[in-house]
Amino acid sequence: MVNTMRSRGFVSTVAILVFLAAWEIAPRLHLVEGFYTSQPSHVLTASWEILRTPSFVKDVSVSLEEFVLGLALAVVVGVPIGLLLGTFQTLRYLVDPPIMALYATPQLALIPIYVLWLGIGMSSKVAVVFVVAVIPVIVNSIAGVRQVDPSLVLVARSFCARQHDVFRKVILPASLPSVMIGIRLGMSRGILGVVVAEMYVSQDGVGNQILKLGSAFRVDHLLFYVLLVSAFGFAATSLVRKFEEHFEGGR
Amino acid sequence: MEASIVIRAPHIQIAGVTIAYEKPDQAGTFVALSGIDLDVEHGTFVTIVGPSGCGKSSLLLTIAGLIQPASGKVFLNGKCVTGPSRDRAMVFQDFALLPWRTVLENVRFSLELQRWAGEDLNDRARRFVTLVGLSGFEQYRPHQLSGGMRQRVGIARALAVDPEILLLDEPFGALDAQTREAMGNELLRIWEQDKKTALFVTHSIDEAIFLGDRVVVMSPSPGKIVDMIPIELPRPRTIEMMDSERYVDYRRRIRVHLMGGIERERAVIAPHG
Amino acid sequence: MRNSRTLLGVVSFAMILVAWEAAVRMGWLNPFFTSRPSLIFAALVTEAKSGELFHNLHVSLGEFAVGFGASVLAGLFLGVLAGWNRIVEYALDPFIWFLYSAPLIAFYPIFVIWFGLGTYTVIAISFLLAFPPVMVNTIAGIKSVNPAMLLAARSFCARPRDVLWKVALPASVPMIVAGLRLGLGRALTGVIIGELFASSAGLGYSIAYNGQLLKTTDMFVSLMVIAILGVAGTQSLSLLEAHLDFWRAGPGL
Repeated sequence: MVNTMRSRGFVSTVAILVFLAAWEIAPRLHLVEGFYTSQPSHVLTASWEILRTPSFVKDVSVSLEEFVLGLALAVVVGVPIGLLLGTFQTLRYLVDPPIMALYATPQLALIPIYVLWLGIGMSSKVAVVFVVAVIPVIVNSIAGVRQVDPSLVLVARSFCARQHDVFRKVILPASLPSVMIGIRLGMSRGILGVVVAEMYVSQDGVGNQILKLGSAFRVDHLLFYVLLVSAFGFAATSLVRKFEEHFEGGR
Repeated sequence: MEASIVIRAPHIQIAGVTIAYEKPDQAGTFVALSGIDLDVEHGTFVTIVGPSGCGKSSLLLTIAGLIQPASGKVFLNGKCVTGPSRDRAMVFQDFALLPWRTVLENVRFSLELQRWAGEDLNDRARRFVTLVGLSGFEQYRPHQLSGGMRQRVGIARALAVDPEILLLDEPFGALDAQTREAMGNELLRIWEQDKKTALFVTHSIDEAIFLGDRVVVMSPSPGKIVDMIPIELPRPRTIEMMDSERYVDYRRRIRVHLMGGIERERAVIAPHG
Repeated sequence: MRNSRTLLGVVSFAMILVAWEAAVRMGWLNPFFTSRPSLIFAALVTEAKSGELFHNLHVSLGEFAVGFGASVLAGLFLGVLAGWNRIVEYALDPFIWFLYSAPLIAFYPIFVIWFGLGTYTVIAISFLLAFPPVMVNTIAGIKSVNPAMLLAARSFCARPRDVLWKVALPASVPMIVAGLRLGLGRALTGVIIGELFASSAGLGYSIAYNGQLLKTTDMFVSLMVIAILGVAGTQSLSLLEAHLDFWRAGPGL
């Protein structure tokens, strides 16, 4: 019994429940102003309302589309570049500094630039997701190649493997776990990126809704979307983690 | 002339100590040591030898007061041991030094923890750094030292608090063979100065015989004492003694015990193998 | 070896600037969209002379200092508590995860109600963004202390207070510094996007303002400054991390 009570799941659940209870009760007791903080019950009602409106599906699909496109581009472009840079040292020394500089800057500050270049439609959002996601993909793909155990490569060479065979059969599978980590990081940054970009300027999408609801101080509805985005982020990264674990054995 | 023999109570008395660990995932308990009875006299260097996993380290940790036995007690000067205290100090197999501290600061560490009074900590630490042969290296950090040097720091740290009893848990286990030999000699040289009661755990038969006044041989888990051999070799010990008949006898005797233990273990694991 | 790396790095940046300038002058890139390095540099000088640059810098850095500073204090304090006590860790875990993954900028209207438009809202966003990595890394640092060191301390009669201050905390410093590095980037991001949405001063605001007026060059000036701040900050912490690497106690230390 004591063991269960101390387990992670139990304590975390209790903590969440206590928080939800306090959140619900405090406004009722007028300890806090319900207008500012909302309540779980209100959020639930709001969620039910939103889920039944037709624009909900449209907004979610727009955001999803922008996110998936941007992420796909980031993977398709980033992984080969990362693998290439990881393999060729001189190239890496040359290209690494700008990439690391980009990594260290708040990339979301560039959103107005993308809007300037690509307008307020979908393309600027896709661009944001792409840039925000491609950097971790590249950086981790580079790391993936560099941490391949050199003795593995030696073994392949000792069996007269040619360069592209070594690449395909040794380096690629060995770097896969790091590449997956990069994709996972790119994913979470991409989700934030698409929402913030849509908030900045757009005609539809989840971020756009969030902005509208926020400006109208409809906190209940706002919170629904915030939780939706968090939940999506959690689900997506958990999925990738499962994938990662699957490939861990191949290290 | 009458020689007066002072009969003292043993320094350490271990009575019926059993040590058990919870297996992970509640798969039951693992008995590391079962019913250990051992007396250690003042000023003796006792080595404990046995195969891996026979609970020798657990015994040392229990004497140090860092783990509680499932049953039985440990007595120090007649008083029951309940936790760590200033009269015992330990030297660890993986050195357990603090990487951000210099050699001097690492030796000070034990003094700081025990709120040592009456002397400047740095001065005292410096004395022990010199004692273990590391003078000149006071400002070095562990990552700049070799394995043997790191363990000397560990030994200095333990001696700095002037314990009654020195507990050494496979202190040379992480060192290569040559360094081990050199360190063994070093340890004896340092020990000869004070002749503190010492317990030394090892799984090297040679180390056990060469260093000890008495060798305690243990069986694999659940660990029991299978033999206690007084080593009648004069001190200071020399390498040449390792060729003497007596030494070879001891060696054979201990090896038979250990081999027998391994055979029994194998029989348990693969009865028809 | 290291010198050739730095050299290639510098060459890299120089090449990009040169290519950029050339591409615009030769008509391959439309200066309306991209401006060019020479113009940007000139505008930088102008803004510096007029004091506009320093005013924006002053505002943003001030907000950053408070936001990041607060997140470090809170992150270290709660991180040590949670790292030391498992129950605290499990209880705080879901909230940390939420802070990490939720689009916190979505809360800015609520912050505006609470704190008004401007500095305090920006600081709040910056604090909330930076706090999770500092705390998470502090927890990880405390939990990953080499148990041999803890055992050794206990063997010398260390009290729990001693174990915390003399062993656990110093041993966690490398991981804590890594957390600070991550937190710094996020704090800066928080300041910038806070200013994009909810402020009327600072570098982020300047980007949005100039963006709406389609003044590309001025946008890039602010962007460059932000980029330099970000790189300088994270690089210094990276260097510190590398320097403290020997504080990590692996096995056999």
